[in-house]
Amino acid sequence: MKPKIAFFEFTSCEGCQLTVVDSLQDHPELLDVVEIVQFREAMTEKGEDYAIAFIEGSCTRPSDEARIREIRERATYVVTLGACAHLGGINSIRNRQELENVREYVYGEKKDWFDTYPARPIGAVIKVDAEIPGCPIDKKEFVTAVTHLLQGRMPYIPDYPLCIECKLKENVCMFLRGKTCLGPITRAGCDAICPTYGDGCEGCRGLVPNGNIVSLKNALRERGMTEEQIDAKMTMFLTYQQMQTEGAAQ
Amino acid sequence: MSLKILPKHLFQAWVDRLRTTHRVVAPQEQFGQYIYGEIEAGEVVNLEYPTSVLPPKKYLLPPREELFAFNAKTMDMQPIIEDIPPTIIFAVHTCDMHSLMLLDKIHSTGYTDQHYRARREKTVWVSVECMKPCMEHAFCKSMGTLSVPEQFDIHLTDLGDRYAVDIGSERGETLVTGFTGFWEPRDADYQRMNEIMAEKWKHFEYRLNFDVTELPELLASTAKTVVWDELGDLCLACGQCTKVCPTCYCFDVTDEIDLTLTNGKRVRAWDSCLIEKFAVVAGGHNFRSSRARRLRHRFMRKGKYQYEAYGLMGCVGCGRCALSCPVHITPVDTFNRLHAQRVKAEIAAQVPG
Repeated sequence: MKPKIAFFEFTSCEGCQLTVVDSLQDHPELLDVVEIVQFREAMTEKGEDYAIAFIEGSCTRPSDEARIREIRERATYVVTLGACAHLGGINSIRNRQELENVREYVYGEKKDWFDTYPARPIGAVIKVDAEIPGCPIDKKEFVTAVTHLLQGRMPYIPDYPLCIECKLKENVCMFLRGKTCLGPITRAGCDAICPTYGDGCEGCRGLVPNGNIVSLKNALRERGMTEEQIDAKMTMFLTYQQMQTEGAAQ
Repeated sequence: MSLKILPKHLFQAWVDRLRTTHRVVAPQEQFGQYIYGEIEAGEVVNLEYPTSVLPPKKYLLPPREELFAFNAKTMDMQPIIEDIPPTIIFAVHTCDMHSLMLLDKIHSTGYTDQHYRARREKTVWVSVECMKPCMEHAFCKSMGTLSVPEQFDIHLTDLGDRYAVDIGSERGETLVTGFTGFWEPRDADYQRMNEIMAEKWKHFEYRLNFDVTELPELLASTAKTVVWDELGDLCLACGQCTKVCPTCYCFDVTDEIDLTLTNGKRVRAWDSCLIEKFAVVAGGHNFRSSRARRLRHRFMRKGKYQYEAYGLMGCVGCGRCALSCPVHITPVDTFNRLHAQRVKAEIAAQVPG
């Protein structure tokens, strides 16, 4: 019997689910090995009986929580898709600011109509079994993750820095170009797509465990980045992880 | 074996002729860097490139290679030994030739690495004499790699309007046979070669402050100095130094299987001793959990362990690791710092207290 899987989204752009649709085009055999029972972006049926739940998006309002918990109760495995679900994503940028100001800036005088609070990764709300990182996720990594789940293993996600992959592509190092990059502290697995096309890494796959942030910030200063620019760089995807570290340090 | 002379204007024709029977790879310019790749015409071979991003070892040990295929249902297994086309690796610096000597030794000591050997036997190496440092971080003179090692196939020395073509092996011989452009060396050629060889050494100024034969012992006696902790605070553990190193060969092994969980492959990919999980064993213990320990381990491999195991230095002084390090950790600075520290300690010990 094919395992039943379902897709869910919370605060996100749903780009990761689009990547899933894309991976179905590359690997139509996915449909031979799993049965999709719920996938709002791709089908109308809404089955509530599933073994594996893939969740995209972060939790940004109290009313999300019950639904997230319900998914956890139904599914044997919960796997998050993408930076929002994994790291709080760009939604967490607002966590550094006063919530009232954020609400007013976004919703204006209708701010009281919308209930919202600081963004959190799904893993901060429920226990998750695996996380597929990235903004968006990598197609190949998604398919490999499904393979691993079918084998009854947890998906293997690289935990070494992006520089490893980037160097193998023989890209010109951003640091040698006088540009800046979060590659040395960011988790690999995207095949260094941004540096390959000439842009420094923004850290969408999250920090590697025990990355040397202090030394990297010095390297960025040495390349002429101001404190403000460094903060901005470290804020795009890494706000939640950074605030957690700061909280733990206090 | 023998020396021949090739006028420069015939060089392209020679390379183009080789291309009819071989895949010819050489460093080619891409966005200001040089990358080894297959050439499409003899004219693109540049013998004066600075350094390549990855060393030519990638033709013997690809970053990712399949070892065998398996069927998980029937447990049937088939070895995968890649049959590469006969390949000439052109314009190899002498430091990289020395790394080849070490890699050859490692892969044929104990169990022979069949995948390495299969590729190695299909390659012919054409090295070049370096007349000036290829870049600021090269310290080949200190490491004794500024001359071609005893074993080589063909070695080229630029004599101005012609190349001295030193043939060092039968495999090398096959590359010159049948091409009529070579002439026998005359007295003037030998004289020019001697002049050039005598003159080049003074251009290589960047070096260790001590003799390299002291390096293994220096590393042993300074294993506990604070230098390693300081470098550990600086190191990003990004692993770039291990990717660009011509003598690193560590790999990780994984199985990849298709979605139907039937057909799979065992794959090996370059690993790096700088990354955190490298020395984690079953049960979760990490033998080198700190960056300082991992960095020290890497330097020990390069300056001590390989020498003790194989009689050859694990570092050939190419300088690639120094060039690629975003926080400027270099072998020359590191080794010189250790040396200065030991000299200081020795002086302190002599002062009567």
